Amino acid sequence: MANQCQYLEYRDQSDEQEYAEPRAYCTVVDRFVQPMRADICNCRYGLNPKIDCEFFLESEDAV
Amino acid sequence: MGYRSYLDRNPVIITAALTGGVQGKETVSNLPESPEEIAAAAEACERAGASILHLHARRPNGERAFSRERFQQVTDEVRDATEDMIIQHSTGGTAAPDELRAEPLMTNPAPEMASLDMGPLNRYERLTSENTRQLVKDLHSVMRERKIKPELEIFNGGHLNETLHILDEFETPPYVSLIFGGGTTTIPHPRNLINLVDNLPTNVEFNVLGFGPHQLPMTTTGLFLGGHLRVGMEDNAYYRRGEFAESNAQLVERAVRIASEVERPVADTSQAREILGL
Repeated sequence: MANQCQYLEYRDQSDEQEYAEPRAYCTVVDRFVQPMRADICNCRYGLNPKIDCEFFLESEDAV
Repeated sequence: MGYRSYLDRNPVIITAALTGGVQGKETVSNLPESPEEIAAAAEACERAGASILHLHARRPNGERAFSRERFQQVTDEVRDATEDMIIQHSTGGTAAPDELRAEPLMTNPAPEMASLDMGPLNRYERLTSENTRQLVKDLHSVMRERKIKPELEIFNGGHLNETLHILDEFETPPYVSLIFGGGTTTIPHPRNLINLVDNLPTNVEFNVLGFGPHQLPMTTTGLFLGGHLRVGMEDNAYYRRGEFAESNAQLVERAVRIASEVERPVADTSQAREILGL
């Protein structure tokens, strides 16, 4: 398993905000994700986007 | 407890839940995340009338942190910024391994209180915070060893069933939080609050919190039932419909005003400690 989701990027600004530290951004849904979801994106604590993330699964279904 | 407590004008303890562990600045730009931001919010909430601070820790990028070291940074900053607040660390942590869940209990000094989730709850589409009975027992055991009073978080009626079985383990009045919102929390309705309160033993002190638009009505209803209340941006980012809260303190200030209007005196910290048996 990769150590992070293939759709995860870290960005330091949105249309409305700039962040001192880059934050987790999901390229499937095109938005920053909540901190709890970022743990899935980063495969922390045994989480796996291919199993635990509905955004990932919807994206794979669409392909 | 109950309406009699309201008639007796018993003091209400106000908890401020400043940050939480779910959303961050991507959702609420003024949510305090860093230790310094959390400390500033804590100081403002103390001035506004809160006596308990419910704390979570975050990494520098806003993501969740469970380590003792990060909680130490947060609690040190908060203790420096405030005069005399009851510090309550969260032990919540959907998907985090059990051993990490006890980390917030290990700061020096230990927090006076800590949350204890009393059963499973769902998150997103595919996550469940399991909070097994064994984990509840293990966390409670650490709390007893470290003389930390648990805030028993009851997200639904099933969790109250779980809680009733352990109440005889307490030497001081048990303190439970009745939680209302969507998903696995209790359906937010005054009738359901009354029902839960009716099922509490008489020696239990209860706190009410509601998520999002339910924060104001459920906490206000709790005032008439003798309950304590929790407000803050962890649970609700809005001051009113379509208008974000300016700060955690703004939500505390409103709670203080409402309590005053309905003639529930707001407990200062020493009164809160007395009520809680700290």
